[in-house]
Amino acid sequence: MKGKTTMTIVIGLICIILTAVIFLQFKTISKIDVTALENMREIDLRNEITNWKTKYEEIEQELENTNLKIAEYEEKINSNRTASELLTNEVSRLKGIAGLRDVTGSGVVVTLSDNEYVSITAEDLIKLINELKLAGAEAISINDERVVYNSYIVNIGDNFIRMNGRKQGLGSPYVVKAIGDPTYLESGLSKKNYGYIDVQKSEGKTVTLTRKDNITIKKYEGNINF
Amino acid sequence: MILIAIIIGCAVGALIGINAPIISYTYSGYLAIAIIAALDSVFGGIAATIKGKFDMIIFVSGFFGNAILSILLTFLGEKLNVDIYLAAIVVFVGRMFTNLAIIRRHYIDKWINKSKESKS
Repeated sequence: MKGKTTMTIVIGLICIILTAVIFLQFKTISKIDVTALENMREIDLRNEITNWKTKYEEIEQELENTNLKIAEYEEKINSNRTASELLTNEVSRLKGIAGLRDVTGSGVVVTLSDNEYVSITAEDLIKLINELKLAGAEAISINDERVVYNSYIVNIGDNFIRMNGRKQGLGSPYVVKAIGDPTYLESGLSKKNYGYIDVQKSEGKTVTLTRKDNITIKKYEGNINF
Repeated sequence: MILIAIIIGCAVGALIGINAPIISYTYSGYLAIAIIAALDSVFGGIAATIKGKFDMIIFVSGFFGNAILSILLTFLGEKLNVDIYLAAIVVFVGRMFTNLAIIRRHYIDKWINKSKESKS
């Protein structure tokens, strides 16, 4: 009887242990997150590491490619910058030539003014501009009105000259500024006897010629639209 | 009496197992081997009871001994990089089938004898 009681207790205990462990295992297997890193088997971890290594290498390759591309683009940007710099310079130069930009430089200032005997006519100014152009003037203005490629100079009445389509005519004194090589300009205008200055003076007109180192000629104010 | 002990034991064990904290996945592998070994011992015990050769000490020592030994072997296998737990599973499950066959034969014989007796 005593042996049987012991046996019953022992078998009961063993049943407790066995079922407890089995259920514990069931629970562990069902609840565990197999994808969690600490629960993975070594072989899975190894595979995972290999995968990540491959991915890492791929991404590194990609990064290298992207860096190369970036370098290429930077190079392009730099070359574009030099190109655009060249273009900007060109545009600025052309604007200077076309009269759309203020120009500063050395040159001459010719002042023509009416006196009580003779008035200055448009023809005088046209001749002067022609002479200046012949002497190599880069930019010319009359009373700060820029002479551009389609500028015209006409007489309005006796005392006024109209230019560049301005409603307000120009009056005496006419200050003609020209930028260019001052020596050429000066000598071109003041040739003995048949030079412009002498011819004008011989006709009794008041003309003065001054050489200046720092002349600013303003840009053309109108719009050039065709 | 023993049947009641088994039922109560199973119920209490299930309750404990459900309420126990989750163990780490690494150890659950060892635990699985131990469970197989223990189940083998249980079936062995049942077969021995049928044969009338059941010994309490052999059963208990086999129950714990096999479980611990299988755990140790699995651990050793892990260290040696050999899957010894496979061998343990083959042996224990094989023995489980043998013991189950013994139990099955015993009860079928009994049943056939009974039906023969009732016929004659």
